[in-house]
Amino acid sequence: MAFTPYDWQQTLRQKADYVEDRLREGSPIVGLSCHEGVLLVTVRRSQQRKIFEIYDRLAFAGLGNQSDLETIRQIAVDFAHAEGFARSPHDVSIQRVVGVALSPALKQSFSDPLRLPLVVRGLFAQLGDSPQDDLFYLLNYDGEFSLAHRCGVAAGTEGAREAMERVLTAFTQKTPKRDAALEKALEAWAVGRREAGATSASDWRAVLAEALETSAVEAALLERHSRRERCFRLLSAEELKPFLLR
Amino acid sequence: MSHGDFAQLLEMYGLRFPSVEASPSPPSSSVGTHGTTVIAVKFDQGVLNVADRRATAGNAIFSEDAEKILKLDDETLIAIAGSYAAAFEAVRFLQHSLKYYARSQLQEMSLEGKLSEVSRVLSRALPSALQGIGGFLPIVSAFDRAKNEGRIFFYDVMGARFESREFGAAGSGAERIRGSFEYIVRTKGPFHTMKLEQALSETLLLLEIAASLDTATGGIRHSLPLAKIVTAEGIFDVPEETLRSIQKTLVKE
Repeated sequence: MAFTPYDWQQTLRQKADYVEDRLREGSPIVGLSCHEGVLLVTVRRSQQRKIFEIYDRLAFAGLGNQSDLETIRQIAVDFAHAEGFARSPHDVSIQRVVGVALSPALKQSFSDPLRLPLVVRGLFAQLGDSPQDDLFYLLNYDGEFSLAHRCGVAAGTEGAREAMERVLTAFTQKTPKRDAALEKALEAWAVGRREAGATSASDWRAVLAEALETSAVEAALLERHSRRERCFRLLSAEELKPFLLR
Repeated sequence: MSHGDFAQLLEMYGLRFPSVEASPSPPSSSVGTHGTTVIAVKFDQGVLNVADRRATAGNAIFSEDAEKILKLDDETLIAIAGSYAAAFEAVRFLQHSLKYYARSQLQEMSLEGKLSEVSRVLSRALPSALQGIGGFLPIVSAFDRAKNEGRIFFYDVMGARFESREFGAAGSGAERIRGSFEYIVRTKGPFHTMKLEQALSETLLLLEIAASLDTATGGIRHSLPLAKIVTAEGIFDVPEETLRSIQKTLVKE
């Protein structure tokens, strides 16, 4: 069977629709720079983790199919560690992991008419020496990626992403402390949730409270001044508690 | 396919480890730089590692600033004696291997797993060790959370692993002071009941004795030795001031 240009365009559109449909209801991801480091926050329904350590200063979180998140995560971890050993840990950057190792592979997989597209939208974060140096890369299922400073958002729809960014941009003019950043991240998450039409509540706290009936907050911090080799850690239930009771 | 195996990952990426393989040419033991004396002893909070700062190449002193005690991860120390190039590459490999396992498999490698990984690295380096150019001996110190105590493991050049109750030492200087460890344990009591301060002064004195018996060992006179501890709270450097004050007392005597 031969493909005409029309078929090809049609296939891509169908694939995009297929992925977008599945991402729409996905739980958004918020990334925020704070004094203490870089915070990644989401709310998850299942027991499966959504936020992962990639390398010494790199973390990844995403929405979509768990198996596809796993594919992205494995490629990133493999590439980062092979590079870090062959050269040095300083040569492993978010730009190389996302731009070199992942984006072309995703693009190729998406445009191959005979392959199922990956259902995934990911947010990568890189911890810098100071909050100005923190980087966020949003990676889309078609391989496209974009860079952001101070904060980054991955959401199921464009509308949700824009609404969440509006919540965050005003806030990140000055570098916040961790606890303030965590609260703001939860607000942004709830706003994104509301925007995607997944809830009937209007106040963000009500949206969050409703979600928490069936889901749990997952948050991780890449610690800026950690004396440990591995500065990534998931926040404990104890640390998250004060933000969930209000 | 073993999941989370870093050696396999490197092969996939076309990277070789060890990067130097034994060649069929006759061996020459004067090639390369060697680290000399490293000591690990228990103390009441965990394990103390000390090492002189000397690296030699044949008769020449190559460096008086060598670091022979390294972190494998946030709760494991490795002290190395022997071929500097091979040992450093091995440590870099191990550091990445443990991180790679933890991150790719989403769980930490067990202490037993880490110790086997060290054995595997040694057996990989065996061909060049047999040629006399790439042999090295590691001592691994860890804090065992399950047993709530520090533990010391030493290896032979083929990768056989042994656990030591009280102390471990490796390198040319270490062979000459082996008996002194026994003497200290029998006359002053076991290391694992000592306070850090006492364990430090005993081991620095041992280093100084090793230096007086072994030309390749730097001792504590010329440059301050390196000392690190691993405890339940993690890995810490012994501050320079502490080492300096012990150095003053010992050198005066």
